[in-house]
Amino acid sequence: MTKRSIELTVNGRLRKATVPPRMLLSDFIRQELSLPGTHVGCEHGVCGSCNVVVNGQAVRSCLMFAVQAEGAEITTVEGLAQGDALHPIQQAFWEEHGLQCGFCTPGMLATAQELLAQNPDPSDDEIREAISGNLCRCTGYEFIISAIRSAAAKLREANTETTLQPV
Amino acid sequence: MSKHLKSNVIPPSRQRETPRTGLTWIGQSMKRVEDPRILSGKGGYIDDVSVPGMAHAAMVSSPHAHARIIRIDTTKAKAVPGVIGVYTGEDMATVVEPCPSFASPPITQHAMSVGKVRHVGEVVAAVVAEDRYIAEDAADLIEVDWEVLPANVDLETSATATGDALLHPDDRDSNVALDESFSFGDVDQHFEQADHIIKRQLRWHRSSAQAIETCGVVAQFDPFKGGYTIHSNSNFYNFIPFVIGGALRVSPGELRIIPVLTGGSFGSKVFNHKIIILTAGLARLAGVPVKYIEDRLEHFTNSDSHGSDRLYDTELAVTEDGTFKSLRFTVMDDYGAYLQFGVGTHGNAMAQVTGPYRIESFGMRVLAVLTNKTQQGPYRGFGSEVTNWVMERMADAAAAELGRDPVELRLQNMIQPDQFPYMIPTGNIYDSGDFQKVLAEAQAMFDFDAWRDRAAALRAEGRCVGIGLATCMERSVYGPTEWWSLNNRETPGFTLTSTPEGITVRLDPSGKMFVTLNSPMVGNSPETVVAQILAERLTIAPEDIVFNYSDSQSGFNGVGPQGSRFTAMIAGACVSASIKLEEKLKRFGAHMLQRRPEDVELRDGKVAVKGLKDQEKAFGEIALTSSFFRLSFPDGEEFDSGIETTAVYDHPLSTDPAEDRSHLGIFYPIVGHICHIVAVEVDPGTGKVDILDYAAVHDNGTMVNPRTLAGQVWGGTANGIGTTLSEQFLYDADGQFTNPNFAEFAMPTANEMPRNFKLGHVETPSPFTEYGIKGGGEGGRLGAPSALTSAIEDALSDRGVKITSLPVTPPILRGLIRDAEQATTG
Amino acid sequence: MKPSAFQYERPEDLQAALALLASGEDTRILAGGQSLVPMMNYRLAQPDVLVDINRLSELDYIKDDGDVIAIGALARHAAIKSSSLIQAHLPIIAEAYSWIAHAAVRNRGTLCGNLCHADAASEMPAIMQILEAEMVVSKVGSNRTVAARDFFVGVYETTIEADEILTEVRLPKPGAGTGWGFEEVAMRRGDYAWCTVVATLRLSDGRIAEPRIALAGVEDCATRLAAAETALKGQAPNASLFDDVAEAAAKATRPSASATSDAAYKRDLVRALLPRVLNDAVARST
Repeated sequence: MTKRSIELTVNGRLRKATVPPRMLLSDFIRQELSLPGTHVGCEHGVCGSCNVVVNGQAVRSCLMFAVQAEGAEITTVEGLAQGDALHPIQQAFWEEHGLQCGFCTPGMLATAQELLAQNPDPSDDEIREAISGNLCRCTGYEFIISAIRSAAAKLREANTETTLQPV
Repeated sequence: MSKHLKSNVIPPSRQRETPRTGLTWIGQSMKRVEDPRILSGKGGYIDDVSVPGMAHAAMVSSPHAHARIIRIDTTKAKAVPGVIGVYTGEDMATVVEPCPSFASPPITQHAMSVGKVRHVGEVVAAVVAEDRYIAEDAADLIEVDWEVLPANVDLETSATATGDALLHPDDRDSNVALDESFSFGDVDQHFEQADHIIKRQLRWHRSSAQAIETCGVVAQFDPFKGGYTIHSNSNFYNFIPFVIGGALRVSPGELRIIPVLTGGSFGSKVFNHKIIILTAGLARLAGVPVKYIEDRLEHFTNSDSHGSDRLYDTELAVTEDGTFKSLRFTVMDDYGAYLQFGVGTHGNAMAQVTGPYRIESFGMRVLAVLTNKTQQGPYRGFGSEVTNWVMERMADAAAAELGRDPVELRLQNMIQPDQFPYMIPTGNIYDSGDFQKVLAEAQAMFDFDAWRDRAAALRAEGRCVGIGLATCMERSVYGPTEWWSLNNRETPGFTLTSTPEGITVRLDPSGKMFVTLNSPMVGNSPETVVAQILAERLTIAPEDIVFNYSDSQSGFNGVGPQGSRFTAMIAGACVSASIKLEEKLKRFGAHMLQRRPEDVELRDGKVAVKGLKDQEKAFGEIALTSSFFRLSFPDGEEFDSGIETTAVYDHPLSTDPAEDRSHLGIFYPIVGHICHIVAVEVDPGTGKVDILDYAAVHDNGTMVNPRTLAGQVWGGTANGIGTTLSEQFLYDADGQFTNPNFAEFAMPTANEMPRNFKLGHVETPSPFTEYGIKGGGEGGRLGAPSALTSAIEDALSDRGVKITSLPVTPPILRGLIRDAEQATTG
Repeated sequence: MKPSAFQYERPEDLQAALALLASGEDTRILAGGQSLVPMMNYRLAQPDVLVDINRLSELDYIKDDGDVIAIGALARHAAIKSSSLIQAHLPIIAEAYSWIAHAAVRNRGTLCGNLCHADAASEMPAIMQILEAEMVVSKVGSNRTVAARDFFVGVYETTIEADEILTEVRLPKPGAGTGWGFEEVAMRRGDYAWCTVVATLRLSDGRIAEPRIALAGVEDCATRLAAAETALKGQAPNASLFDDVAEAAAKATRPSASATSDAAYKRDLVRALLPRVLNDAVARST
């Protein structure tokens, strides 16, 4: 079927491509954009490993076609760290041992990004609820919950510092 | 030690580093070395591998459980633009041999079926195309004519099947692939003399690990050299070339297997030989590099990693005072359509089948039954998770029938702290332990007495609240005799006894240390563990160590992360390597300092003169000089350029099984202990189980990194909770696998986990491993099912419900409650 | 697991979308895609043409329309769940959403898409039935309105035609004092339910008025429990009444088979959950 040209912003960079309509967003990100940090675990929308942030919301990239992302702003795991500085959420996952094999981690990070943007000080139950759409087979989730709790504190602190600084 | 085991003398310990306090790095919860690259999305998993000219494969899978292949028409598929080739099992058979098998005599398995399929999902044809989308389009156009055969779904029925219902008439004239009996000690006498014989029929149903990453391969064939280059997420890449070279018709030297970061295994990626043979064969046939990544459906139905599926008829001989004398059972195991690892999962269970108890004898009949399901493979626990549950069910049953307190009865029968090393009837030993201390810590952490009172009060209000406690063993540092020790003595097969782990350490002229590992990272922490141990041994900073992984041609001995072996084994290799490296550093350093080697020591990353502060040479300077300034040292090969070493560590303590199998030898002796205590509330109307409180105390000997060990325990416990409450593979009467997806195979989410999990550790070091380290990768799943089952049964004790089968999903538990209600009301 | 090829259309307004649907080809509407795309990945659905309605911003609304709340075809679950209008007037919907899927799915999925998918175990069809919602269905040149009770026909089956779009759901605001109850049992929170029971009712002089009860997940299609409603109407709430009603409802249901449960279990769930739902509804009515 006819390919379509699309333009979208991924990790702050404008990307243009021509894709068949059936290409899943997950495959597009991994293969066409060479950003393999987004992982494919089930391709039926349950495991959450392929979650990416699209226009501020975590979504399953295996349940979207790349053509639907025309004009969208997407953040993948590759867009989090600044140079050699991990994003505070990544840093918290490191410090709290929030990952083992790391395969579910990019999806967890996307989910955590959306949660903490909406709710800077979530309770453990809110964190639990938020990540319940992301399967992890390694950790038993406890250290992921600690990591997100710790990330929230880091981000709150960073925001406080920012607001205190004279503009 | 029992009389009949006289010949089985425990060899002396080869431990060089004794357990001690005051270590700098060992015992620290250091942040993992592996994490930054993984967290930033640059881990490099199998599906991230791309090679020039690579094509993609899609499979045609059997929709039938058991059928003859009459005809395969690939014409339409071949005509699809973008298709490079379409291949059937007959085509594959021109380039590869059947898969290797540990069953003896072997059971033939083809990576792609020839003539017949034996389970839903078995591959019968494949398409290689420019991309996976096109490959799947073409696969849909392949037409297969089938002659459907009777499907064997039920374990007991399959055992007596004949005629067309036989799975492998060429290899076996029965679907029972193995039927062997064993007796260790005076089983008959103990049962004759018993005051009570506790009997239970116990059923454990199949499920599997379902790591979030599936298995995959990228394979290239070089027709000129006649060899393969293969990327694989196998756990075992330095061992499998030897095993699969024959199937691929190449020598292991012509087979280069390159490891990748692996997205979880829990046993499911231990070998992966079938998918490697399949993909490699396609690459050879198609003449292009081929990538094949299982999709989730294929991983469920064709990945050969289903877990145990067992029916036990168990008896425990008990004396009037409650002493457990003997255990015996007949176990039938539904292995599915093939028997790739023989009955290794039962061999494994022999390591700790009698649990933490002083049971004097043990007898078993094991039947490996073939059915039309996906075959079994390793899964966290490797069969011992089932016998742990069986033993604990029997302990609870004994307490109930004797009217004894289940905790007190356990304590009465427990091995005492002064009895180690303790040999169990099968001949394996438990190296060390203090089970009573683990139990006491768990009870204190859980506030056991208060909880018992609370549960009693809540039960008096009519609520179904119960407490379960399990005291279980966690064998670690696996020995490979488990694969074959239960085979028929006349045909034991390949009697492997080695499980080495090696390491290469090289000091770079810049002062960095390069370490090459021979086993992949699968979610464990190989680099972190090695960094901590080498930093400890060589007085360097962990961040000065750089890691890489050998491929199968540049590496050598590596058996991989499995059987909770890697940490203890690589620690041994690190000790060996650092002894050699220290000697070398001292020799070169002493020369540079104009001292004798015996006058210098390692201090803060330097070779330093004992007792003198400023007389020292940094490792970097020594490495630089030894690498680039040969003339600064005397002639003689002891000053050959460079500071590097390679070391290998063999299993610290193993012996052969007895010729007559009166014992199985020492094969899994580094044994941890775990106590899980859980409180649950059951909603009797719906069968839902709510975990109210949970405490786990594990003794894994000396801890290298408490936090990563805690991660393993937590994850294993989550796994065990799933095994107990929600995970089961379902098959209908035709052998259709009805829930092979993440929506219906219900692995726990964060919502299903206990809210207040308490974790503790006791450290009873091993006298046999370096520093006293024991493995700890499986324990959560080795304890949680027993404790949870016990708690559920306790919660429903007033209603007379007995739990004899796992899992207990809400529909199943409600069914048991309903049956009990109907029995009461008549 | 990759979808088969299709022709992709992305109309910019409703009329264009309806025209595409009228073309007579094998066409499916792509809204949130949270049910359709998995089916396409499994190749259980292989439409020739996909009409992506995600750019029809005219249909992205949740609005107060007097006695009703109107929800457009493009309103996402997440927006509805957090809508103050919904929380004020229809808290049962907000509660139900905490049992439906997970955040990332709710971010994309739409209520109208979910209703058109008509999964037997989906909660919203049952809620539409007790709220007596009206479904506004459009095609080229005409609109029609279908009552929720007539909309759902069977497993994955509604009365909507291939050339139609469910453009709006109209939810009457419950009368003052209406209480509600919601109970569900699924394997995991967020999974499709083995049994969902929902109810609304009012109390008038201490007696039950306007009871509305529905089940999801039990039969092939979400169902109103008319007999139970009749039995409750005008009665004073009490435990034995609720148990009797639940018992009768359990016996009357015709549970569909599923891989993970059986008819007896589903009946037991009706028995267990219905009294709890009624108790909650009574407690919430004022």
